[in-house]
Amino acid sequence: MTQLHRAGMVFPPMSTAELRALLGPAAEQADELLANLRTDRSRLPVVFPGIPRRFGKAVVGGGRQAFGEATVDLDAFRTCDLVAAYLVKSIEATEEEVLDVFAHGDIEERAMLFRSLNFMPLGSTTNRLFGEALRTNVALHLEAAMCDSDLLARSIKSGVLDADTANRLLLKFAFIGMDLTRAFNIENHANSTLSTMLQDLATEREAAGRSVWQHTYRMLGHAVCPGALGRLIGGIEHGDDGVRHAAADGLLAMRNNDSKLQPLLAQFAQERLPREPRDTVRELLQQLATN
Amino acid sequence: MLIFEPHIHMFSRVTDDYEQLSLAGVRALLEPAFWLGQNRTSVGTFIDYYETLIGWERHRAQQFGIHHFCTMGLNPREANDNSINRDVLAILPRYCEKDSCIGVGEIGLDDQTKTEEIMMSEQLELARNHDLPVLVHTPHRDKMKGFQRCIAIVKEANFPMERVLLDHGNEETIKITRDLGCWSGFSIYPNTKMDPARMVSIVLEYGIERFVINSAADWGVSDPMMVPRTCVKLEQAGVPRETVEQLVWDNPIDFFAQSGRINKEMLAKPASANLRETFDGNSVLRGQDPDKM
Repeated sequence: MTQLHRAGMVFPPMSTAELRALLGPAAEQADELLANLRTDRSRLPVVFPGIPRRFGKAVVGGGRQAFGEATVDLDAFRTCDLVAAYLVKSIEATEEEVLDVFAHGDIEERAMLFRSLNFMPLGSTTNRLFGEALRTNVALHLEAAMCDSDLLARSIKSGVLDADTANRLLLKFAFIGMDLTRAFNIENHANSTLSTMLQDLATEREAAGRSVWQHTYRMLGHAVCPGALGRLIGGIEHGDDGVRHAAADGLLAMRNNDSKLQPLLAQFAQERLPREPRDTVRELLQQLATN
Repeated sequence: MLIFEPHIHMFSRVTDDYEQLSLAGVRALLEPAFWLGQNRTSVGTFIDYYETLIGWERHRAQQFGIHHFCTMGLNPREANDNSINRDVLAILPRYCEKDSCIGVGEIGLDDQTKTEEIMMSEQLELARNHDLPVLVHTPHRDKMKGFQRCIAIVKEANFPMERVLLDHGNEETIKITRDLGCWSGFSIYPNTKMDPARMVSIVLEYGIERFVINSAADWGVSDPMMVPRTCVKLEQAGVPRETVEQLVWDNPIDFFAQSGRINKEMLAKPASANLRETFDGNSVLRGQDPDKM
């Protein structure tokens, strides 16, 4: 826990009423469960696993929405995720209660708890559950914890997560091969230490003849480390469209941070342009090729 | 042909078994909580075991396209251990509510002691409270007496017979269970007890109504492929393919669908087989490239 967080500088979460409104027709049934829990909160571990089958896993929908300081993509949240969040938030579940459900939870229970973090105040529980995310490689759990919202970025910005933990989480993100754009605003937290970690992972993968996480190129562009420039220039000649796109993206970010690179990058961009088959990549290269 | 293997202890099996099962058409399986071959010394090891059944083992199965379900319970062999049995009963409610838990079991009798009977009765209540069917382990020693006692306990509890699967049956037990309204399970073993040929004879004589067959494969000498092997023998004996499929697919699903947590629609496609996925940092790939598998 950082000094910033100890000082109580946390962002306001969504209100319980806002959360309930998102439940739609499921709200009444959720209220019944809530009443049950308010009578006997020790039933939380028994009630929790049944939420997906009682409320379903249908996507809530509604796209990207802001609630207070938080932004979530409701196209990626399921009804059961929101019901779980509503119950946990309404009874003001303690850190111990949440961690108990997590520790003994099945795959879905854990995913729902990660999603619930978006609707609760950032704090020690957030920190502890991100610690659990670091220990797991279950894609569903990493997605639930790190994707489709700005939870990770807010947690880093607020100091709930320290830089080292954040870097290791993002390295795990790369290790699993998830889409960087699903962790909103996370490129703002690029740093040279993380870039070195990503560069090393890429080198290991290449030595083993395996594919490299394409967002490596983007992150290296936002925060350079030794070897970053060579990798990104090489990236625009890669056979994979996605890698070339990410490399061109990364080179633009690199140029924006260091204008002295402009002549060099323009030279490589101009050399590549006539041979680049993808319009989206060509657009980026044209930006690089001009001042 | 699609197969639902309704009794197999994958905890004790290797990934080759999962692959063989998957290739043979096993789309889903049920792993009953049972004895691990060595007595446990604290409730904590039950907790970890139950969590393996709802976590790691599901994950392993999914990587081979197999849907993994379980039943939860205190097995009769360890029910006799008074230093842990009460503590285990106390933790079971939360596990009975897990999504992949579709029954209570294995409960039943083994040495046929009074304590086993008490624990079986209490777990019938547990099943009633969670609206789950029960998988009953019947003794391998003094089987007829044990079968009859299991039935008597179910009747004393006024537990609905159609929600009871009496497992490890044979030619003798079928005579006493056929008209009870309960379901009968037959465990097919490689060298001992019921074998495929005997199972064929039972099907030819009695049909397949409320029957399921399983391998009960575990940590001992056993063969997880016994259900597919028996399917071949049944077809060779002239049993129509639709009948065989009803025995190994429809019947087990119909029985466990009484939990309200499983149906054919959810099994229409293989489980997600993302070989890149790992669980708590572990992968069954052991560093192999998933792209090359």
